[in-house]
Amino acid sequence: MVRSGIPFVAPMVALSVAGFLMPLAVLAAFSFRDPAGGFGVGNYAKLLADPLALEVLFDTLFLGAKVVTLTTLLGLPIALLYWHAGPRQRSLIVFLTLLPMLTSNVVRTFAWIVILGRQGPVSQMLLQLGIIPFPRSFLFNETAVVVVLSQIELPLLLLPIMAVMSRADRNLVSAAQTLGAGPWRIAWSVLLPLAAPGILAGWVLVFASATTSYVTQAVIGGARHIYLPQYIYREVGVLFQWPSAAAIAMVLLASTGVVMAALAALARHPRLAAHG
Amino acid sequence: MSLRPTRRSVVAGLAGLAAAPFVASRSARAAGSIVAAAFPGSWEDAYRATVAPVVKAAGTDLVLAPALAQDQLARLLATQGRPAFDAMMVSPGQTTEAISRGLIEKIDPSRLKNWSKLLPAAQTEWGPNVTVEITGFAYNPRLVPKPRTYRDLFDNPVYHGKVGWIGFGSNTATLAWVEIAKAFGGSEDDMSPAFKMLAEHLNKGAVIANSGNQQMALYQQNEIAVFMSSVGNVANLKARGVSCEFAHPTTGSPALPVALHLVKGSTNAEGVYQYMDAAISADVQRKLALPPTEILPTNTDVPLTDSLKSFISDADIKNLIYPNWAKINPNRAAWSAEFDRVVKK
Repeated sequence: MVRSGIPFVAPMVALSVAGFLMPLAVLAAFSFRDPAGGFGVGNYAKLLADPLALEVLFDTLFLGAKVVTLTTLLGLPIALLYWHAGPRQRSLIVFLTLLPMLTSNVVRTFAWIVILGRQGPVSQMLLQLGIIPFPRSFLFNETAVVVVLSQIELPLLLLPIMAVMSRADRNLVSAAQTLGAGPWRIAWSVLLPLAAPGILAGWVLVFASATTSYVTQAVIGGARHIYLPQYIYREVGVLFQWPSAAAIAMVLLASTGVVMAALAALARHPRLAAHG
Repeated sequence: MSLRPTRRSVVAGLAGLAAAPFVASRSARAAGSIVAAAFPGSWEDAYRATVAPVVKAAGTDLVLAPALAQDQLARLLATQGRPAFDAMMVSPGQTTEAISRGLIEKIDPSRLKNWSKLLPAAQTEWGPNVTVEITGFAYNPRLVPKPRTYRDLFDNPVYHGKVGWIGFGSNTATLAWVEIAKAFGGSEDDMSPAFKMLAEHLNKGAVIANSGNQQMALYQQNEIAVFMSSVGNVANLKARGVSCEFAHPTTGSPALPVALHLVKGSTNAEGVYQYMDAAISADVQRKLALPPTEILPTNTDVPLTDSLKSFISDADIKNLIYPNWAKINPNRAAWSAEFDRVVKK
């Protein structure tokens, strides 16, 4: 069975090797090249000794954590709604979740420029309510980046949760009610463990996507909030320092990889995996 | 026939897949086509609509690859020996870099029919200049008065919080920063006064964008009312109905010639010559001088349109500033890093 399946997976394997693993290996090798043409860890040493680079690295990881937190706060009520909905309503919720993904990430980001801008609806509403004395822009700050990224990445959290919940047995809730559990107890002891594998999978996707989302970080954050993707672009596109950019890219890969590996390990925990 | 794969068939299949992109690429290039990098947006659109048909008529398919000048250099550096483009479109800052890094070749002007029609200043041994971009201030007359000097933008409170700035990745911005440095006592190789002013100005609401395109998007949303711009960008915005005017700094407008270069290692030099000849021909430049592109012609047979004359007078042309890129380029990386340090919150 395994042997006969090889031709079907071969194109995907070949594409992954040629389009991902080989370039990644080249990138990794490049990151060890020093300006004189030799090999060493000079690019990494320079990066880790640069306070600005370290600040950018931690800002990027914290940005990912903040987006994961906000998407979770926004996503869990929708997931609960999905759990309680009937088949038609569930289809509608899935459709509405997928709907923003039919529009390009770039278009959605530029739409937020209008929403958060000086003449945008947020500014105008606050002005009309007398909360701000004159129109002001809500762009170019980290809160805006977190809000926009959370809206853009929300489907990546919701879809795995919905996939897990659609397979869960509703009788578990009935059993808990029969045993006298209240709504909060059911949510905490039954629904949350049921959804946990989906939540963890969603966290991995949201974290990876938020930390590497060049367009949204650059357009909404402006040049005053620098994250690693912009830092890499600057090294390549302005300074032409490919080895240094490769080293930063490897650090970004490693740091997001560590977080994702931790989340994946958590998802394999016996108590959570048992519900998957 | 058995569908069960053997090790040999799997290896052959994988090898075939791996070779496919190279086979396709070779056949596409062998068919008389060239890949030319062009500035994204209005330049790319205009060249696709105006230059490509002329090159096609000469027997070459022109494939335009949108990329900013610095991006073009970065991509060529990444693909040395097998260049991603046959021709590049850049300004003197990148030309100097491309020459010093051995990325472009000198051309043979005798292979260009329209060479003799070019302004003498547009004839360089590394390729023809297809225009001179004149840079200064783009401003919204409904929101701010006309800026006159670079100092105005810092000294006059009416501009505070309304000016968009970008870093040294952009040629236009680099020229503006050099002029700002000079205005405050610096020079082409001393940027410290400009960084000092920028640091002070950040507390007064300076908007720092990531790119020229982002700046134009912010301008259209009234987030900023002034930005450092070429005449072409202002013409483009005006043609779209946006309230935008161009102002020449009284200290002189920095000029940015735009040149086409033959990339070293190109497999179709003849096609590149056809492309260059089309781009400097009178017919093409006459069309590109019209709105919305309004690209200043370098072919002497093409007169300035009335619209272009409204942007640039003879006095303005005499007052153009041609910066010394040999002094600027060695500092650009350090300035770029310093810019990030100054603006980082």
